[in-house]
Amino acid sequence: MRSQRGSGPGAGALAGSGKSLSVSGLRKTYAGVVAVDEVSMEIEAGEFVTFLGSSGSGKTTTLMMIAGFVEPDSGVIKVGRRDVTRLAPQKRGLGFVFQQYLLFPHMTVAENIAFPLQLRGLSKAEVRRQVGQVLEMAGLEGYGRRRPRELSGGQQQRVALCRALVYRPPVILMDEPLGALDKKLRDQLQTEIKKIQRELGLTVIYVTHDQEEALVLSDRIAVMRDGLIDQFDTPRELFERPRTAFVADFLGAANFLPGRLENHTDEHSLVRLDHGALVRARPHPLAPGHRVRAAVQPGRLGLCAPADGFCTGTVETVTYVGTLVRVGVRPAGAESPIRLELPAGRAPVTGEQVGLTADPGDVTLFGDEEGR
Amino acid sequence: MAGSVLAPVPASTAPAAKSRVRRSLRSRRTRSGLLNGAPIVVYMLVLFVYPILSTLFLSVKGVHGGLTLHWYADALSGANLAVLLTTLRISAETSLISVVIGFLLAYAVSRLRPLWAGLVMLIIVVPHFISALVRTYGWIILLGDHGVVNSVLVDLHVPGAPFQLLYNEIGVIIGTTSVMLPYTVLLLYAVMRGVDRRLLAAAASMGAGRLVMFRRVYLPLVAPGLVNATVLSFILCLGYYLTPALMGGARQTVVAALIDDEVMKQNQWNGAAALGVILLVLTFAGLSLLRLARAIGASARQRGAA
Ligand SMILES: Nc1ncnc2c1ncn2[C@@H]1O[C@H](COP(=O)(O)OP(=O)(O)OP(=O)(O)O)[C@@H](O)[C@H]1O
Ligand SMILES: [Mg+2]
Repeated sequence: MRSQRGSGPGAGALAGSGKSLSVSGLRKTYAGVVAVDEVSMEIEAGEFVTFLGSSGSGKTTTLMMIAGFVEPDSGVIKVGRRDVTRLAPQKRGLGFVFQQYLLFPHMTVAENIAFPLQLRGLSKAEVRRQVGQVLEMAGLEGYGRRRPRELSGGQQQRVALCRALVYRPPVILMDEPLGALDKKLRDQLQTEIKKIQRELGLTVIYVTHDQEEALVLSDRIAVMRDGLIDQFDTPRELFERPRTAFVADFLGAANFLPGRLENHTDEHSLVRLDHGALVRARPHPLAPGHRVRAAVQPGRLGLCAPADGFCTGTVETVTYVGTLVRVGVRPAGAESPIRLELPAGRAPVTGEQVGLTADPGDVTLFGDEEGR
Repeated sequence: MAGSVLAPVPASTAPAAKSRVRRSLRSRRTRSGLLNGAPIVVYMLVLFVYPILSTLFLSVKGVHGGLTLHWYADALSGANLAVLLTTLRISAETSLISVVIGFLLAYAVSRLRPLWAGLVMLIIVVPHFISALVRTYGWIILLGDHGVVNSVLVDLHVPGAPFQLLYNEIGVIIGTTSVMLPYTVLLLYAVMRGVDRRLLAAAASMGAGRLVMFRRVYLPLVAPGLVNATVLSFILCLGYYLTPALMGGARQTVVAALIDDEVMKQNQWNGAAALGVILLVLTFAGLSLLRLARAIGASARQRGAA
């Protein structure tokens, strides 16, 4: 590893330095309470994977087990081909970015970043060169002599990233590294993280409960709930083929329209919604007559003339959010409005009668008993 | 008071300053502040300033009146100088040993769960509230030729036992260390509790072994506490009297004992005053050393930054 780093003139030369990671049957209980329940996943070298899930779903615990700070009750963790399950954290060769930065307060920024390099026995000149390089990459030139407490939260966060990236660990684990930052800085750092990860070909496992962040960054997302992975897929698959109602809800806050399965055609399942409309959906194995919920993302619904849609309703609310407009349409007899997201140019006016359209491929059915 | 403070002010600004004082004297807050502060000022004057000034005066007063440095010359020569050096040596030994033991104890306690930590701290601190005299006699009973310690050592057939553990430097150091230990443990424990253990996890995640973690992360973070504890126990030891007197031999005479001897047996107040002033100066020197150490630490950090 050292010779590789020593000879690499720039970041590009090291592309593909990430390692694969495999986790199987990982489980952890705290005093009988299950925190992580049989998590298994194969992560490829150079892949950006995000754990997405609500608070307490076991994301941090899973990450901590991979890093070696928490001992699993059972399961196997492999980095590349090496089984690291019983190895001390310092011997796993991973990088970790903590949510709370955890910069060493008694060292300067440059010393903080130099720390992992010094541990690896690099020469002084080499350490200085690499620290300078990574500071420049993070837009922190000239900050090397400051103490962590003399930096803003965002700057500290970037230093923490630098410190984890500078020694190019084959796998980097990040626990909500942007959690404490404002939106603008988040966007900026997301771009930076993604760029560095691509350039160095690093394997990154990232934790967040912000679905937008997950979608922007990830090659694949593991949606976690109650210590289990509901679905581990590409963002597109998660959107288009959510496997559980929870996934559909968590990514994009889907509309859930209650109804009854009427019958199946060759390509679609037909659902009679409770307020009377008939909607075509992706096929579902349940027999006709069962109660179901039709999930459809707000962004996948469209407006049309009242007679042309699968259902008609009255526009109740119109809210502009940047270039998008959020529209609430209540069909006659419905309990709550159906939420739509449209380009701002196509905004209807409140009180207007409209029809709703949806591509049957965007409507996913879930049995009524399926938990959320 | 105000007048004397204002005296050196150049004439041109004096009237303005005077009127400011008058104005602030007229304000209720200032007046009630002065009223509230008065008892403390009187207290300090009577109990600290006056005794210190009169001691200073005594220490330079000649036998037949007039000023002299004779008493200082006396205090800093011959047997008296030896006593002073002994005091410094015993203080240094005590502070070093109690900081080392205190470090180990405080570290062990800081790793316990809060409930147990509280309990152990209680056990460490409670003896401090027992009279030092009682504790010292306790040690004398334990450490005597036929005391518990030596009996056990003899029973275990440790070669050389029984050891001479009393009326020598070992006895004094055991005694003073046990007195200083609660201070050092308390000081170090407070600092150690403040160390964010996750910083060590961060170091481990980058590949640091235990030794590196300790040397490069933990030790620098608790260093200020170590310096404080060392200097504090050194200063406390300087004026300590009881334990060295009861557990030491003739060669462990400390300055405090010498002062006692001069006042009680020789009625020699001037010499005693000189010794007292020297102790005071040494204490201040210790405190300045602490300041200096902090300043050096800060500037080293600044330089590390540069
Ligand atoms: N040290 C611990 N002792 C006891 N229970 C714990 C401990 N750590 C975590 N848990 C429990 O395990 C579950 C999973 O916690 P974890 O921290 O992994 O959640 P998370 O997904 O990271 O949540 P968040 O988004 O809030 O950070 C929670 O129910 C939590 O209460
Ligand atoms: Mg967490």
